[in-house]
Amino acid sequence: MSAAAPAKRNYDLGFARWVYQNVEGGDRLSLCMQCGMCSGSCPIGAKMDQGPRKLFMMIRAGMKDAVLTSDTLWNCTQCYNCVVRCPRQIKVTNILQGLARVAVAEGYVTERPTARFAKAFWRSLRMFGRTDERIVTALFYFSSGLKAGIDLGLKNLPIAQRMIKAGRMHLGLPHRAKGAAELRAILDKAAAIEKGEGAKP
Amino acid sequence: MDKKQGVYLCGGCGIAAASPLDGLEKVATKEFKVPHCRKHDFLCGEEGLKLIRDDIAAGTINQAVIAACSPRVNQDRFRFEGAQVIRANLREQVAWTQEQGAEDTAMAAADYLRMAITEAKKSAPPRAYEEGPYSERVMVVGGGIAGLTAAREAARAGYDVLLVEAGTALGGRMRDLSKRMPHKPPYAAPQENDIGTLIKAVEGEKRIAIRLGHRVTRTAGGPGKFTVELAANGTTVEEKVGAIVLATGWRPYDPNKLGHLGYGASPDVVTSLDLEAMLKSGAVKRRSNGAPAKTVAFIQCAGSRDPAHLPYCSSVCCGVSIRQALQLRAADPESSVYVLYDELRTPGTAEEFYRAAQRAGVVFVKCKVKSVGADLTVTIDDALLREEIPMAGLDLVVLATGMVPNSTDLFATGEGEVMPVPDIDPLSPIPVAGYAGEKPATAAKAAPVEVKGAPLLNLQYRQGPHLPILADGFADSHFICFPYETRRTGIYTCGPLRRPMDGAESAEDATGAALKAIQAIRNVVEGRALHPRSGDLSFPRINLNNCTKCRRCTVECPFGAIDETAEGFPIPNSTRCRRCGTCMGACPVRVISFENYSVDMLSSMIKAVEIPDEDEEKPRVLILACQNDAYPALDMAGINRAKMNTFVRVIPVRCLGSVSVLCISDALSSGYDGVMMMGCKAGDDYQCHFVRGSSIAQERMAKVGETLKSMALEKERVATFEIAIADSHKLPKMIDDFMAGIEAVGPNPFKGM
Amino acid sequence: MTDAPRKYTYYPGCSSQASAVHLDRSLRAIAPKLGVELEEIEDWNCCGASVGHIEGGTLPQTALSGRNLAKARQQGPQDVLTPCAACYLNTHGVNEKIKADVTTRKRVNQALEAGGLAYEGDLKVRHACEVLVNDVGLDKIKGQVTKPLAGLKVAGYVGCQTVRPFAGTESGGDYDTYDQPEFLDDFVRACGAEPVAYDSKTSCCGGSVSVYDPEKTLHLIKKIVQAAVDAGADVIATPCPLCQQNVEMYQAEINKTFGTNFDVPVVYYSQLMAVAFGLDGSKDAALDANMIAPLKLIDLAKKK
Repeated sequence: MSAAAPAKRNYDLGFARWVYQNVEGGDRLSLCMQCGMCSGSCPIGAKMDQGPRKLFMMIRAGMKDAVLTSDTLWNCTQCYNCVVRCPRQIKVTNILQGLARVAVAEGYVTERPTARFAKAFWRSLRMFGRTDERIVTALFYFSSGLKAGIDLGLKNLPIAQRMIKAGRMHLGLPHRAKGAAELRAILDKAAAIEKGEGAKP
Repeated sequence: MDKKQGVYLCGGCGIAAASPLDGLEKVATKEFKVPHCRKHDFLCGEEGLKLIRDDIAAGTINQAVIAACSPRVNQDRFRFEGAQVIRANLREQVAWTQEQGAEDTAMAAADYLRMAITEAKKSAPPRAYEEGPYSERVMVVGGGIAGLTAAREAARAGYDVLLVEAGTALGGRMRDLSKRMPHKPPYAAPQENDIGTLIKAVEGEKRIAIRLGHRVTRTAGGPGKFTVELAANGTTVEEKVGAIVLATGWRPYDPNKLGHLGYGASPDVVTSLDLEAMLKSGAVKRRSNGAPAKTVAFIQCAGSRDPAHLPYCSSVCCGVSIRQALQLRAADPESSVYVLYDELRTPGTAEEFYRAAQRAGVVFVKCKVKSVGADLTVTIDDALLREEIPMAGLDLVVLATGMVPNSTDLFATGEGEVMPVPDIDPLSPIPVAGYAGEKPATAAKAAPVEVKGAPLLNLQYRQGPHLPILADGFADSHFICFPYETRRTGIYTCGPLRRPMDGAESAEDATGAALKAIQAIRNVVEGRALHPRSGDLSFPRINLNNCTKCRRCTVECPFGAIDETAEGFPIPNSTRCRRCGTCMGACPVRVISFENYSVDMLSSMIKAVEIPDEDEEKPRVLILACQNDAYPALDMAGINRAKMNTFVRVIPVRCLGSVSVLCISDALSSGYDGVMMMGCKAGDDYQCHFVRGSSIAQERMAKVGETLKSMALEKERVATFEIAIADSHKLPKMIDDFMAGIEAVGPNPFKGM
Repeated sequence: MTDAPRKYTYYPGCSSQASAVHLDRSLRAIAPKLGVELEEIEDWNCCGASVGHIEGGTLPQTALSGRNLAKARQQGPQDVLTPCAACYLNTHGVNEKIKADVTTRKRVNQALEAGGLAYEGDLKVRHACEVLVNDVGLDKIKGQVTKPLAGLKVAGYVGCQTVRPFAGTESGGDYDTYDQPEFLDDFVRACGAEPVAYDSKTSCCGGSVSVYDPEKTLHLIKKIVQAAVDAGADVIATPCPLCQQNVEMYQAEINKTFGTNFDVPVVYYSQLMAVAFGLDGSKDAALDANMIAPLKLIDLAKKK
């Protein structure tokens, strides 16, 4: 595990409490006994700036900036090994995912493939009520700029071709839910509810 | 009374196979002319016991010398109405450790029989002292939770109680608490402070006489007959009590010494007690500007586990901080509460409490606190992140300080003098694993904690008015075996005076102390000794005619039981005595003795052994083994059938402290080649069941080198050994090594003289 | 035991219409044979998969499943069934939260109101594999096999989200373990094929990270394929659309990066069953949808 120095040194002593109150699974954060089972079980832990164990300690130490800019949140494959093995039943994956959301919402994310992908994903979802893989892919590829988009497209063209050949790429108009507008209304309402109740971390 | 001795030889358990009984019978009847001698294969069986009982009933004997198993076993079987019993250990220390049927084995068995018969000649059944009238009242000093509980429990057991409290109200420090640590399942939340209930119960108990605003100014006498002077507002009153329970509690470590943790630099650095007062008043605010304290950090081990302050852990500070943290979180869900610890100690049910605090969102950080700034920035060295973190933005820093026992009377006017340095060697290092400081102290040790103040009871004892304390200020007790005991018989400590503990533990502790106090009274009125010689009726008798006023007995008694007249003659106080015989061992002119244990008896036993001539090449080594650990270890070696040297002769003694140097010189002048003194561990973390006996023996033996030189004998011939009851496996080699040393110096030139 | 088919409300998930058509098609084909009637949720929406909430927010992500559940409920009280691991995680997870937590239930319904919907948490959401194990049973599966897949060596790659974190819970059907799940090998055996001793059963394929940042996870997929090759497998079988896609799609990239020579077909358990039940290899088992053609299986399907 590479111990990269965190980007900034800003200790926010209210951060741990905020996570406790506002992030799903955060209410068990203080139960973490730093056993390291999560980091040890993580298939991709070695490629993270810090494993979940250390990240939790950083949350407790109030290292808000370092936590929300950490790549731990973005490299999690959601395999849930940590969740089923944690001796204190802490929902590690859920907390990491929750923090990823916070990082985006608070503007901490400048450049992450996951965030760009999530944006593309959500746009398709809102538009059609379903995710059309071509649209998501296209939006994602070009989210880094025209040239990058073209490069990625060309690079993955062989795969795309094979997918088409296998009949696994929908070639017609995107499938859509008839109630996409209804869905958008629901999503907007949900966002408003969340915004109204949420205190800033 | 005329002694009618009978000797009973048991052949069972392999004794007869090891050493034929006929030979032993000859020793009894021919050598010692004992009129009555019987043999049996199974003496502890019904038939064997009947043999003895019938002899007693017929008036044939009133003293039975039973040569069989160890005196430590079958005591209930070999106990007879109308006859004194003397035992010879032919089983564990002869038959089971020596070669079966060998000549040396028979010689050993014969010697043990000789010693037992001689002992019987010099021994009489002890009669209890009569020093009444006695008081059966229990005095409890201190009206906190410990004292209140001790009083209540003693009263419920049917004893009158005198409860003395120097303050103006009962309840002690528990009154100051907003809430308590949980003492009921599920042990997860702070509980109501219910001290009021206990106070009411004590006030309503008819057997308890309460003296508020009173201090103990003078204590004389002994268990069963304490005369106590109580003072209040200039007037004094005298009371008589039978036993004393001390429950004077604790005070917090002086925070003014914690400048390195910010105390004094900012008004917002407070102690646990300061925070408790705020919690009790209902609002936790910053002292600097009255704003609510929303971000709080607790610093654990503030001035504890630190060689520069209190070297010990006070055990409850972590629990208290957890409770206060939970209260802060409950009062304000928007609060951020941190507990900074190096190690977190949550003994017993406190582990559940700790988990509750974790669930409530209290953040626990394992770190070392490097500094606390005047601006309340706490810089920590986080152990798990391995980086230094400045915790800025705190509203309040709480220092969890430790407990200091009230081993002196702080209510006395005047500062009082510094207590005498504890007489147990203060120079041995105090083993403490890890500190709140930089490195664990290995060689370096803290100077003994300076304890100032008037003596708690002001004992009118020759050895001084204070209760002896340990180097850290807590009352000395034989912690391993007898926790409540102090070094003054009939006086018991409980609660944080004894060791740091919380309210619930204090209540339990106090119950134990009350039981001990009751036990003391019940035994004393019958003339019986308390632990470790529980039930012993014998007590030291001093023949003042030949006393030289050397004062060794009054100084060396581990329990301060002997007072002095103005001229310097010793005054024994039998109820204070634990019958160890240290005084007997101290006396240079042998004027102190017990009815069944004396220097004359020991010397006679020593001389009763047959010492072979030099050319027979059968050395003789005397082992004086204390009955508490060494003798059982020797027995255990026998139980394990260890092969032991055949040339040793073991005499059990009450304590090595009771061994007079005269016995040693008697042994050497009788022709023994060496003397091994085996006793319990001495020193600061002593195991000696009489606290100082072993140390005193070692000191005496250090000086015996002079005596040996004057006899032109090598100093290697006499040595002391520390044996714990679990060390039986070490004994064969220990003895063999000593024997090798003896063989190296050659046989005692005094043989045959 | 009744012979009437049991109805489940079916949530296919977005991938069923494109990258995982073969899962959807083969599952629908074998369902009637196993007494399972699938009635699709009318006008279902995307569940948000693994990344939805990052851009959309926590409650909106929850509301996605909320709408699906509300609409499913309108079709009756029968259990909801979904074959996709991520869809299951989201839908089942949200369902359990709505059941257990009053606050969540309230907030979700407040949001659903905007769409004229409501849901009180009275459905059960089940994974297709769990239904096959607990409701259908291995005996029934075996009973439908007319063409045992003799000689076919299969590496049973279960993956992560199919079993974690719900397979051991009561609400999840308590049907298998997290580290050594056996159900997939049981399916393989029921079809007459041979499950190999495969020690990467629950290794992670990288999930959605493999989709947009494969550099980070290629080594994980390599491990999965290598283990199958080492165990002598002809094919890798899997229940999860993302696993199927990742493990199949990236073999070429892995070969380029690591110098390996992988060409292992990756099929769904439902495709194996379709062939074993004697159904059509293309129409029912959708074997032409696999990028790496499962030749042995295709041959078996062609046999009479």
